[in-house]
Amino acid sequence: MRRLGLVFCCVALLVVGAAGCASGGGDTYKVGYLASQTGPYTALGLASTEGAQLAVKQINDAGGINGKQIELVLIDDKGTATDTALGAQKLVEVEEVLTLASATATALSHSVIPVLNDNETPGVIISGTGLIMDQLGAWTFKPSSCEFDYIPLPLKYLRDDMGATTIATMIENSGYGEGGEHYLSSIAAEMGMEVIETQHYDPAATDMTPQLANVKASGADSMFIWGSGPAGALAIKQAREMGIMIPITTTPAQSSFRYYDAFGEFYEMDPAPACLDNKPAIWPQLDDSDPDKAMCQKFEEDFNAANGRIPGIYEAIGASFVWFIADGLERADPDLGDLSKARSQLRDAYEETEDLSVIIGTYTMSPDNHYGRVVPKEVLVSFKDGEKVLVRTHYD
Amino acid sequence: MEASTVLQSLISGLTLGCIYAALGLGLFVVYGVTRVLNLAQGEFVMLGGMLTVSFCSMGVPLLGAIVLAVIVTIISGAALYLLVIRPAKNASGSTLAFLTVGFAYAIEGTTLLVWGWEYHSLTNFLGSSSIHLWGATIFGQAPWVVGMTVLMVVGLFFFFGRTMVGKALRACADEPLGARSVGISIEKMALLSFMLAAGLGAVAGATITPLTMTAYNVGMPLTIKGLLAAFLGGIHRAEGVILGGLLVGLAEALSAGLMPTGYHDAIALGILLVVFLSRPQGLLPARSGAG
Repeated sequence: MRRLGLVFCCVALLVVGAAGCASGGGDTYKVGYLASQTGPYTALGLASTEGAQLAVKQINDAGGINGKQIELVLIDDKGTATDTALGAQKLVEVEEVLTLASATATALSHSVIPVLNDNETPGVIISGTGLIMDQLGAWTFKPSSCEFDYIPLPLKYLRDDMGATTIATMIENSGYGEGGEHYLSSIAAEMGMEVIETQHYDPAATDMTPQLANVKASGADSMFIWGSGPAGALAIKQAREMGIMIPITTTPAQSSFRYYDAFGEFYEMDPAPACLDNKPAIWPQLDDSDPDKAMCQKFEEDFNAANGRIPGIYEAIGASFVWFIADGLERADPDLGDLSKARSQLRDAYEETEDLSVIIGTYTMSPDNHYGRVVPKEVLVSFKDGEKVLVRTHYD
Repeated sequence: MEASTVLQSLISGLTLGCIYAALGLGLFVVYGVTRVLNLAQGEFVMLGGMLTVSFCSMGVPLLGAIVLAVIVTIISGAALYLLVIRPAKNASGSTLAFLTVGFAYAIEGTTLLVWGWEYHSLTNFLGSSSIHLWGATIFGQAPWVVGMTVLMVVGLFFFFGRTMVGKALRACADEPLGARSVGISIEKMALLSFMLAAGLGAVAGATITPLTMTAYNVGMPLTIKGLLAAFLGGIHRAEGVILGGLLVGLAEALSAGLMPTGYHDAIALGILLVVFLSRPQGLLPARSGAG
C-alpha cells in the first residue's frame, strides 16, 4: 500500500510538473522562434533573431503582457526545410510553446505550415510570397509582406524616375524567387512595363556572368535582382564589372550593410542600385508627417544601442513578429492551465487583429484572411558616401 | 543565342574550372599519399581567404597577408593530421573521411565564433579593371585565378617529379612497404601531404576571395565541387583532377548561360552522373607507378 502511495505521489508530481512546464509554468508565455543560427541563411536568421530578442526584452522590461513575461525559445533551423519542420515539431510537442514564429526565409517557413495546422498551434511565418496565401490553413498567419504589395514601389522608380520600360530579371532559385518571377511579370504588365529577359541563379552562386551576359544581350533598360542570399549582392558587383550600367533594383537582402561593406565601390556606381528596405534604416529622412517616424526612430536607436549597428529589414521583421504575437497574447489573455485551449484562444485573437501598426506593415486579420496587410511600409534606398539614402516611399 | 553569351559562359567555366581544379589538387595530394579523402579541404580554402582578409584589414600588405594566411592554414593542416588522422591511423578510409568532416565543422564553428557570419571580400590584386573582349568580360581577378592553378600544376609536377621529397611522397603512395624499407618515414610524408594540401588551399582561398567573397560557411560547398572534379577526372592523377575541374566548371557555366531554366545546377550534375555511371574510375584512371 505504501508503495502504491509512493507511485501515486510520483505520478502526481510528474503531472503537476508537466503542467507547470507547459507554456512557461503560468508565469511566462513560451514563444518558439525558428531562425537560422547556422547554414546558408545565417545572416538573415541572426538578424531577425536580434530584432525579436530586442522586442522581447523591451516588452518584458516594461512589465510583460498581462503581468507575464515572454520567454523566447530559440531553435536553429540550420537553413534547411527539414530542420525547420523538425524544429517546429520540437517546439510544439516537446517545448509546448503557445505559438511560434518561423523567421528566416520563405521556403523554410513553408515547411512549418503543416506542423502548425496538424498540431492546432497558432504561428506566424516570414514567407514573402503571395503564392502560399490559400495554403495557410486555420492556424498559420503571415504578418509579413507579399510581392504584390511591394513590387510596385521599385517598378515605379524604374519607370517614373529612370524612364525604363523593359526589365531583365535575375531570379534566385528558391521559393522566394518563384513568387517574385510570377508576380513581377504580371505587375510590370499592369504598370505598362515588360519583363523581356528572365535569368536564374543559385543562392550560393559565385559566378553569374553567363546569366548577366544574357541580360546584357537582351537590351533591357533596367534590371531587377530578386533573392535573399549573398549571390544577389555579388550579381550587382559582377553586373557593374561587366559594364552593365542600367538602373538596378533589388529585394531587401541586398540593402544590407554587410554586402555594402564588401562591394561598396559597386553599390555607389551611378546609377546606384535601389534596394527595398525598411523605414528604421533611414528614419531621419522620413517626412515629419510620416506616422511611423517615431516608432522607427525608437526601434533604430534602441537596436543600435543594444547591438552597435543600424537594423536592417530582417531585424525589423523579427521585432514586428514579436509585437504581433504580443498583441494577440494581450487580447487573448490565454488560459495557461489548458495548453490546447490557450492555443485556440490565441489563434482567435490573431484573427481579430485590427489595424495593428508595426514597422513592416499595418495588419487587420480575419478568419478568412491570415495575411491582412492593409498598409505596406517598405522604402527604396540606395547608398551614397557610405550611408543609406531614401530614394522613394510607397506614397511618393 | 548570342555569341557573347557563349563566350562569357566559356570564360566563366574556365575560371570556375580552375577554382574546382585547385580544390581537387588539394584532395589529390592527400589522397595520393595517404589514401585519406580529406573532406576538410574546402575549409583550408575558406581559412586562406578569411585570414588574408583579416591580415589585410590589420594593415599588412597583400603579399605579406597571403604568406601569413598560408602559414596559419598550413599549421591547421598539420593539426588535422596530428590530432585527428594519426591517432586513428588504423581506422578504415571511410572512418578517416568522416573524421575530416568533423574537423571541417570544428574549423567552421571556430571561424563563426572568431569572424562572425558576415561575408568578406578583398579588392582585386591589381585594381578592379575588367577586360572586355567581343562582348564578353574577363574580371580583373580571373587571370590570377587561372595563373594560380597553372602555377600549382607546374609546381606539383616539378615537386613530385624532380625533388627527393616529392619522389618520397610518391613512393609512400605507390609502395608504402618499399618506401618504409628504404628509410622513408610514412608518417612524416603523410604530415607533409596534409600541410601541402592546406597551403595549396590557402593560396586558392586568397586568390578567389576577390571574385567570390568568403564567409565561415563556404568551405563544404567548395569541398563538394572539388570532389566532383577529382572523381570525374580521376583522383589518382593530377591531370585527371584538372580535367575534371574544368569539365565541372564548364558544365555549370554553359548550363547557366545557355539554358533558360532554374535547373542548371541539376543539369550540370546530371551530365556528371552520366560520366560517373559510364566510367566509375574517372576519365583518366590510375596508371601503375604514377603519383
